[in-house]
Amino acid sequence: MALSGMRGLSVFISEVRNCRNKEQERLRVDKELGNIRTRFKNEKGLTPYEKKKYVWKMLYIYMLGYDVDFGHMEAVSLISAPKYPEKQVGYIVTSCLLNENHDFLRLAINAVRNDIIGRNETFQCLALTLVGNIGGREFAESLAPDVQKLLISSSCRPLVRKKAALCLLRLFRKNSDILNVDGWSDRMAQLLDERDLGVLTSSMSLFVALVSNNHEAYWSCLPKCVKVMERLARNQDIPQEYTYYGIPSPWLQVKTMRALQYFPTVEDPSIRRALFEVLQRILMGTDVVKNVNKNNASHAVLFEALALVMHLDSEKEMMSQCVALLGKFIAVREPNIRYLGLENMTRMLMVTDVHEIIKRHQAQIITSLKDPDISIRRRSLDLLYGMCDVSNAKDIVEELLQYLGTADFAMREELALKAAILAEKFAPDLSWYVDVILQLIDKAGDFVSDDIWFRVVQFVTNNEDLQPYAALKAREYLDKPAIHETMVKVSAYLLGEYSHLLARRPGCSPKEIFSIIHEKLPTVSTPTISILLTTYAKILMHSQPPDPELQNQVWAVYSKYESCIDAEIQQRAVEYFALSRKGEALMDILAEMPKFPERQSSLIKKAEDTEADTAEQSAIKLRTQQQASNALVLTDHRPANGAPQVSQLGMIMVPSTSNVDQNVVDQPLTHSNGTLSVVDPQPPAQDHAPAGDILGDLLGPLAIEGPPGVSPQSELNNVPSHEGTLGANDALALAPVGDQESTVKPIGDIAERFHALCLKDSGVLYEDPYIQIGIKAEWRGHQGRMVLFLGNKNTASLDSVQAKILPPSHLKLDLSLVPKIIPPRAQVQCPLEVVNLRPSRDVAVLDFSYKFGTYLVNNRLRLPAVLNKFFQPIQVSAEEFFPQWRSLPGPPLKLQEVVRGVRPMSLGEMANLFNSLKLMVCPGLDPNACNLVASTTFYSENTRAMLCLIRIETDPADRTQLRMTVASGDPTLTFELKEFIKEHLVSIPTAGKPPAPVAQQPQPNIPPIASSDPGALLAGLL
Amino acid sequence: MIRAVIVINDQGKPRLVKFYDYQPVEKQQEIIRNVYGVLCSRAENVSNFVQDSTFGPDTRLVYKTFATLFFIVIFDDSENELAILDLMQVFVETLDKCFGNVCELDIVFNFNKVHTILDEIILGGQVVEMSSSEVVKALDDITRLQKNPNSIVRVPKSISGWQGR
Repeated sequence: MALSGMRGLSVFISEVRNCRNKEQERLRVDKELGNIRTRFKNEKGLTPYEKKKYVWKMLYIYMLGYDVDFGHMEAVSLISAPKYPEKQVGYIVTSCLLNENHDFLRLAINAVRNDIIGRNETFQCLALTLVGNIGGREFAESLAPDVQKLLISSSCRPLVRKKAALCLLRLFRKNSDILNVDGWSDRMAQLLDERDLGVLTSSMSLFVALVSNNHEAYWSCLPKCVKVMERLARNQDIPQEYTYYGIPSPWLQVKTMRALQYFPTVEDPSIRRALFEVLQRILMGTDVVKNVNKNNASHAVLFEALALVMHLDSEKEMMSQCVALLGKFIAVREPNIRYLGLENMTRMLMVTDVHEIIKRHQAQIITSLKDPDISIRRRSLDLLYGMCDVSNAKDIVEELLQYLGTADFAMREELALKAAILAEKFAPDLSWYVDVILQLIDKAGDFVSDDIWFRVVQFVTNNEDLQPYAALKAREYLDKPAIHETMVKVSAYLLGEYSHLLARRPGCSPKEIFSIIHEKLPTVSTPTISILLTTYAKILMHSQPPDPELQNQVWAVYSKYESCIDAEIQQRAVEYFALSRKGEALMDILAEMPKFPERQSSLIKKAEDTEADTAEQSAIKLRTQQQASNALVLTDHRPANGAPQVSQLGMIMVPSTSNVDQNVVDQPLTHSNGTLSVVDPQPPAQDHAPAGDILGDLLGPLAIEGPPGVSPQSELNNVPSHEGTLGANDALALAPVGDQESTVKPIGDIAERFHALCLKDSGVLYEDPYIQIGIKAEWRGHQGRMVLFLGNKNTASLDSVQAKILPPSHLKLDLSLVPKIIPPRAQVQCPLEVVNLRPSRDVAVLDFSYKFGTYLVNNRLRLPAVLNKFFQPIQVSAEEFFPQWRSLPGPPLKLQEVVRGVRPMSLGEMANLFNSLKLMVCPGLDPNACNLVASTTFYSENTRAMLCLIRIETDPADRTQLRMTVASGDPTLTFELKEFIKEHLVSIPTAGKPPAPVAQQPQPNIPPIASSDPGALLAGLL
Repeated sequence: MIRAVIVINDQGKPRLVKFYDYQPVEKQQEIIRNVYGVLCSRAENVSNFVQDSTFGPDTRLVYKTFATLFFIVIFDDSENELAILDLMQVFVETLDKCFGNVCELDIVFNFNKVHTILDEIILGGQVVEMSSSEVVKALDDITRLQKNPNSIVRVPKSISGWQGR
């Protein structure tokens, strides 16, 4: 089918094609552009045919990559041509060449509108296509009502309506006000009943855009989507032209299941059942076949069904089926399916409980890391990264290291970063961590960012046990013939600080260490030379009394660099030279670096920042957070041997404490040496932070070179000198709790975390920069078992850990022993047995304190052992409900109250809230659709199992008030339950509550303190 | 949403370029060059998916090779990768029906016709029609109109013609 006889255009195209090179092509194109420009100038002589031809040529030239900055007006003017051929060219070319902000486009609005409201359907189609492709805000405002009308019109052909649906979608994206939510949701529901598959496909796309924006308004459409799925996948009720390789419109099936994923749940049991039946059919009925296209289509549907099952989650039976399928997919030959299998497994990590099953496929996933296809290798890396935890970190990280040697350059940086993060997060022991990072630097130095080696230095500095090991490893790497500069940096730094710990080993005398490091000096860059100079000074310092030969060698180096052009190197050389002549005093000045203040790893932070973008990755994040509180812990860590000892050392090392200052300031005065008088008053600070400029990020406050003498840091660092001598417990008593704890800010809102935990059984209760407290609970009847996970986030141990429970009178709480010390990066579990004696809304409180360095942190945290944990939801039929309801005649067993100031929510939301409180909503019991009936069983030692019935009558006109009736066989229970529900309905429990250090939220409706039990008293006070 | 549909030949020459997310012409060419660079280095029998960050972290790229041509679709994570492959197949089958065993030359010399076909399948980055026979029907109407602008649309205004389905 050739172009309708447009010879000039064909000739032009073949001439361009015949150009032998880009230059010739450009000449030919420029010539043509000049020609078109002249022809357009005297437009009068142009026939419609010529105009059409030139505009097509413009589009062709534009496609080849040449800017066409004229002739837009001519293209736009064709839109208003009376005849179809010209009009069509005008529309197509305009929508390719112009963007929504182009001035000429505004000129065309009227012409476009005329075509849309006109009666010519072919013109309507053209206009809708243009607006759908490039329509902007102005189009949205002036055309939306007309486009809407076309979409819902019953006299329009499907050809027009399907385009109107997508046009409307574009306009909605430009201005979401064009669709009035209230009115439109009914229309949308009607559209989803559409029989014509073309219109239905477009409408489904429109619907996806609408629900992704606001699903609340479209609950009524959910059953329609399920119907569509039934119609396609079960009944196959669909015209022949819409089956694609024997599958009923896979595209529409995929879109429909995508739309369903925007709803948080499917509540209605019968609809849910219907949907799961369809999903089951899809999961079971899809096989890998020979025909590629058929395979693609059927697996498109299958993967979407998997995604939907994962989203709806709760049917555990199907979940394991999904994992099994994915396990099969990642091993098939077809690369697309392998790719998607890996990708979906990564997504699946979001669902808890499947983690262990996924681990079974670890070997296969590692094989995919060597797949010929880089796309698959990337997915495999993502999955390995996501599934890594303490149990498999060693295997996975070692695989990654091995792969690093042969990996594509495009992947190495990511690979190195991921290996470093995993090693840090899940290291079973710290020496392994050091091994991994050094190997990483060795194998892929170019891809190891400074963050990575800074971090390893920080770990080593903060853990004495690690220092000899790290120094030895660094020494070993220096024996290699060619090492990466980063390796020179890190080993020089480590050996400068800790090589004296190796002194007795062969090849580790100060002289030998110096000479092997000095060998590298000619090959390294300026910043590294600075580090080496510091290392030499440190080596000298550690060899007291000095070995004259070594001293001369080092001095020779310093004098060589005294006149170095680089100011940093010069200064170091001059100063170290002067300092190294101070004999013993050198020991004080150049002592070991102090511990680094604990802080979040900049690496992990970076990873989290970049991961925040896409849904699946945030799912990984979510799981790693959970993992922190689920993983089992090794309490066999080395005891925190030295907290007091270290802090004493620290006192000596603190750069700006007065005695050190005097040393330095005094001596220049006593010596009349000219070189010393140039010594800056700041060198002590600098000496202690020899690589301060590079390590700035790690050194934190210590690296700040303030004026010597009084600075906030010095005070802070002086604290251990007082405390170091005291036993940990005394320190606890002495430390002014209030003042100190305000310096440790909790992460996240404590009240919010508590409220979240009231509705679920595992999560984080509290977190600050040092510790994370997670909770996992199981409830059976009136008893429960909670496990507190206390996780130390640092590389140093937490001391004086204490946890006490302040139980309210209605709960019997039994907390097992909490260890006094939590080793670095370890997590301890403390089981807590709970017995509920009688109904009450009082809350148990955990009084928790620990010490980290100089900080004493004390927090009182509410424990989520609240009323609803002792509920067991129960579905009650009408036959059971009404007799019960009637048998409880009135107060005190049945209480009624009109509640005002209710947080406005739809009935669906309220039902969700009730269900999450374990009050099971029983649909259909109340004939009035505005009402809601729920039931549950309450367990306590006093009441045994007790049925509770609740009825809520809402007023559709005023959502802020409702009437609530609560009934049970126990007066206290009825009252407490009523108040409990009220609390949840009246206010958003967490809104507007700033996180406070001792965050206890005032509980609404707590009666004045009447009882003598401490828990209630406390709860009342709070 | 589909951000772009691109057809290039194995020399990297663009044969069809359609962006649903406006990009200046230089940026379009840069994208085409980058994509071509990536696709050239892909072996046979690998997946049809390529990591792509042309339009930010969420974008994906699916490609398919037909004889001398690469068909490329760039889209965001609201679409299903395999379904996009179906879409490409439908596009190519439609081209086949219109040109009779389509080849690169057909597309070169009828690029305007190809635009018309694409507009019947994708509109504003969304799929408007997945049945190639429906697309062909619509195209027949258009061809008739192009040849004889005064002719009346084939499908009568009466409803019975299409509501039976």
